[in-house]
Amino acid sequence: MVVWLFILVHGFLPDVALAGRVGLKSQSLYPSLYIELEGDTLKLEQVEVFSNPLNKYTFGQQVKNINREHLSFFQGLGLSELLQQRTGLFLRQYGPGMLASLTMRGTSAGHNAVFWNGLPINSPSLGQTDFSILPVGAFDDVQLHFGSGGALFGTDAIGGAVHLNTKLKFGQGHAFQSDSNLGSFGRWNQQLQYGYSDKFVSVRTRVYRNIAENDFPFRNLAKPGTPIERQEHAAFLQEGFTQDFAFQIKSKQLISSSLWYNQTVREIQPVIGSNTRDLQQDRNVRWVLDYFNFAGKRIWNIKTGMVKDQLVFNASENNTSQFFLIGDLDWDINPIISSKSGIRYAHVQGKLSTYFAQENRIELYQSANFKLKEEELNFSLNLRQFIYDGVMAPFTPSVGADWRIFPQMKKEIKVHANGARSFKVPTLNDRFWEPGGNRELLPESSWSGELGISYEYKLGDFLLNQQLTHYRMWVDDWIIWLPKGNLWSPENIREVMNKGLEYSLDAHYQKGSWDFKFQSNYNWVRATNLTNISENDKSSGMQLPYTPMHKFQSFFSVGHGQFESYVNYHLIGSRFETIDNIAQLPPYGLWDLGLKIKRFKVGVVNARLGFQVNNVLNTSYQVLRLRPMPGRNYQLNIQFSL
Amino acid sequence: MKKISNLGTAIILLLSLFSCMEEGSQMPAGEFERGILILNEGAFGANDGEVYHYDPNLGTIKTNIFESKNGRPFAGLLQDLVASEGRLYLIANTGKVEVVDPKDFANRGAVTSGLDISRSLVTANQKIYISDWGPYDANFNSPNSYIAVVNQLDGGSVNKKIAVSSRPEGMFVEGNQLLIACSAAKKLDVVSLNTEQLLKSVDILGRPSRFFESGGRLYLYARDGGNVYFHEINRSSGDIAKTVKVNLPLSTSNFALTDNGEVLIITSTGWPDYNDAVARVDINDGQVLNSSVYTGSGLYGIGFHKERSEIYLTDNNGFQGNGTVIILDREGIQKKTFVAGRGPSGFKFNLN
Repeated sequence: MVVWLFILVHGFLPDVALAGRVGLKSQSLYPSLYIELEGDTLKLEQVEVFSNPLNKYTFGQQVKNINREHLSFFQGLGLSELLQQRTGLFLRQYGPGMLASLTMRGTSAGHNAVFWNGLPINSPSLGQTDFSILPVGAFDDVQLHFGSGGALFGTDAIGGAVHLNTKLKFGQGHAFQSDSNLGSFGRWNQQLQYGYSDKFVSVRTRVYRNIAENDFPFRNLAKPGTPIERQEHAAFLQEGFTQDFAFQIKSKQLISSSLWYNQTVREIQPVIGSNTRDLQQDRNVRWVLDYFNFAGKRIWNIKTGMVKDQLVFNASENNTSQFFLIGDLDWDINPIISSKSGIRYAHVQGKLSTYFAQENRIELYQSANFKLKEEELNFSLNLRQFIYDGVMAPFTPSVGADWRIFPQMKKEIKVHANGARSFKVPTLNDRFWEPGGNRELLPESSWSGELGISYEYKLGDFLLNQQLTHYRMWVDDWIIWLPKGNLWSPENIREVMNKGLEYSLDAHYQKGSWDFKFQSNYNWVRATNLTNISENDKSSGMQLPYTPMHKFQSFFSVGHGQFESYVNYHLIGSRFETIDNIAQLPPYGLWDLGLKIKRFKVGVVNARLGFQVNNVLNTSYQVLRLRPMPGRNYQLNIQFSL
Repeated sequence: MKKISNLGTAIILLLSLFSCMEEGSQMPAGEFERGILILNEGAFGANDGEVYHYDPNLGTIKTNIFESKNGRPFAGLLQDLVASEGRLYLIANTGKVEVVDPKDFANRGAVTSGLDISRSLVTANQKIYISDWGPYDANFNSPNSYIAVVNQLDGGSVNKKIAVSSRPEGMFVEGNQLLIACSAAKKLDVVSLNTEQLLKSVDILGRPSRFFESGGRLYLYARDGGNVYFHEINRSSGDIAKTVKVNLPLSTSNFALTDNGEVLIITSTGWPDYNDAVARVDINDGQVLNSSVYTGSGLYGIGFHKERSEIYLTDNNGFQGNGTVIILDREGIQKKTFVAGRGPSGFKFNLN
């Protein structure tokens, strides 16, 4: 496929240097491309292929990138492991490699939107994403958008959004890379990738296979004497490939496309005390095609794509498909005002084991930035109207502002504030599942506000960045499934008030060949249920289940030359097991250690080596009750590249 | 004088001691043999079933008595609680049976493997017989249901499986016969306890669930969409001797026998209102005496305390958190409520 694409594209390309023209466009939007002559060798500066910047209209909001170094440590593992260990976010994990759902700012699993290269990939039937089957390595970049993002991203983004992106580069020539991750309990993650790029075209193919037996020892609390046993029926097998392609048609036109096939077969780890032998197979096909036209200060983007998911649970097969057509215009009207206007059309189909449903969704969106006082005071205004199946979802505006108080060289203090509305369209299962689906459901809706301050300090080789945000959120018409006689049915019944604090600190100091990095996150979340569902229900005023009030994470690394070592710690506070807060799981903290040789040569091959010990103290813990997790375990990462 | 006095004191003390020892041979009832045990089924996927104890005289509640005594969670969905042979059997439909001392809930043993979806249990001939749906097939049917036989009363491994009709529930030992209510098959199966072979399967009206005795007669409770059936069993042949049909739509499998030949049955209106109620029915003629002794929503378990003449109901509170126990007088007037465990589903009154 790679060869075919290469011949197809490269064989017909005129050998024209587009660098200058591309560079002209790139002053504010993308980096320049230029040619450097060194003797007789033509060296190309590596240039990242353009993609829509996700954080352009997010003044007043928090958007964070996951450090790419962190991605390399987690090669082949689920994104859930990375987010749990390296961020302040909490994921409800049903076991290693098992279902993992994200909670952002105290909302539920379906209250965060997940995008791959700009396409929403939350399952339309389940309304959420299983983060354990998103393998690190199948994407290049992870961005986290904290807080209400309905106006920017559409349905589901009540607590936040996660963006997974492909980052191709031009001007790299041929590149081959092999990544292996060998670990305890039968872990072997293997990824191979080959890419070629020049000034105009970039292609890359990745294939991967990730397996784990997950036969870790655990204490079986269900048996007399609570014997230590090996976990059974928790094996994990994942295979897939990605095919990425970018082509600079002319100086003002770019096409990029990505295809991702991912399949995962899992033995579902039974809860302690159960002897279930469930088997789940997930198959996902995602494809996106972007066309960019750079016309002056206008960028036109036409995007199309599809997301097809198949979930087979034992013999029950469920299929969903989403087809997208998106068009928008991003326009820097003048140095003060930028604007983005667009429309997104989606056709959604669900062929589930108990029903078939399909619907059309149309979204109109408008964003604008206003940069005042030489960019000391910046505003973003976002508006979105979502229509599904002829129903108008709540109109969602958001207004945010950043104010740089002391824009000096060494330190900068910035205040940010944002107010937003968001929504979540009821899932297909919520509305159409037979029996029990409720077609009268309303979209869940939320209002939120946040106020934060960030402090950045630079002195020589020392860089410090701190940020503190306080938020409040009110979610109404929260959907829950309740038993109704002999069946369960969803209702818009719950009202929830969330508030919290998010603190992050990043520090970096470099002296000679020494390199010190420190990163820390602390989240305090109070997610309060405001509704009693019946006269006997006493859960109003209580914390939502499996929503820890406290999560702390810290990472410290020391590098010297090609060597780097790190220690990471994350602490998850106690979690109530049910909405009435009667029982709770104890808090736990895990230490991880790692050592890495960043780069060395084996003949003509570049190599990197990493060794990690996770859960160093062999702490026995459960994220969810009676769902055991592994004790101390080891990983060896080996990377070869040509 | 002083020595005589001391001797007298010693004799009195000894007499007192012997007196106490004689009384001690009566073996006073254990803490949990008096009062009310509340079965909390637990929530699907959470395996948080447990047993609570309620003392109706003092109004005190002891929570999680299995875990409190044994230092580990029950870790299962509690389907049934059976007192037999001086033991209390906790049956989890997640494929486990725990055997505890009814006095204090100290664990005596367990059956932890070889079961699939266990439902109920009886003992006979120093053996345990466990009804089990068997594994689901691809369409979530139960074609491989069985009775598991364990040769020790304190549990252990499953020694034999007797294939029976689909989805066995309640059982009753009558002589050398084991009667089994098979709900999905709508059959009454009869197994010989001598040969441990299925003797016959009898078709019956409705989906059967449990056996009960009233007025010296043995009945099997069954129901369908419009009716409840009290099938009177011929104890010698195992056949249906007589059926009392009760016109009671939307009945559930949850019922309780009162002290005067009446049965209390939970009903649910279903979609769209889902209003639940308790109906009072006469066993002998099938008359619905009162279709709404009590009304509510989320009614999940029911019992009748004969000594106190009280109806005990449970509300599962949507399984979102712990459930509620509602105590009514026999006319259905609410007397008290208190919080139980997750999904409270039934009661055991005064084991001793």
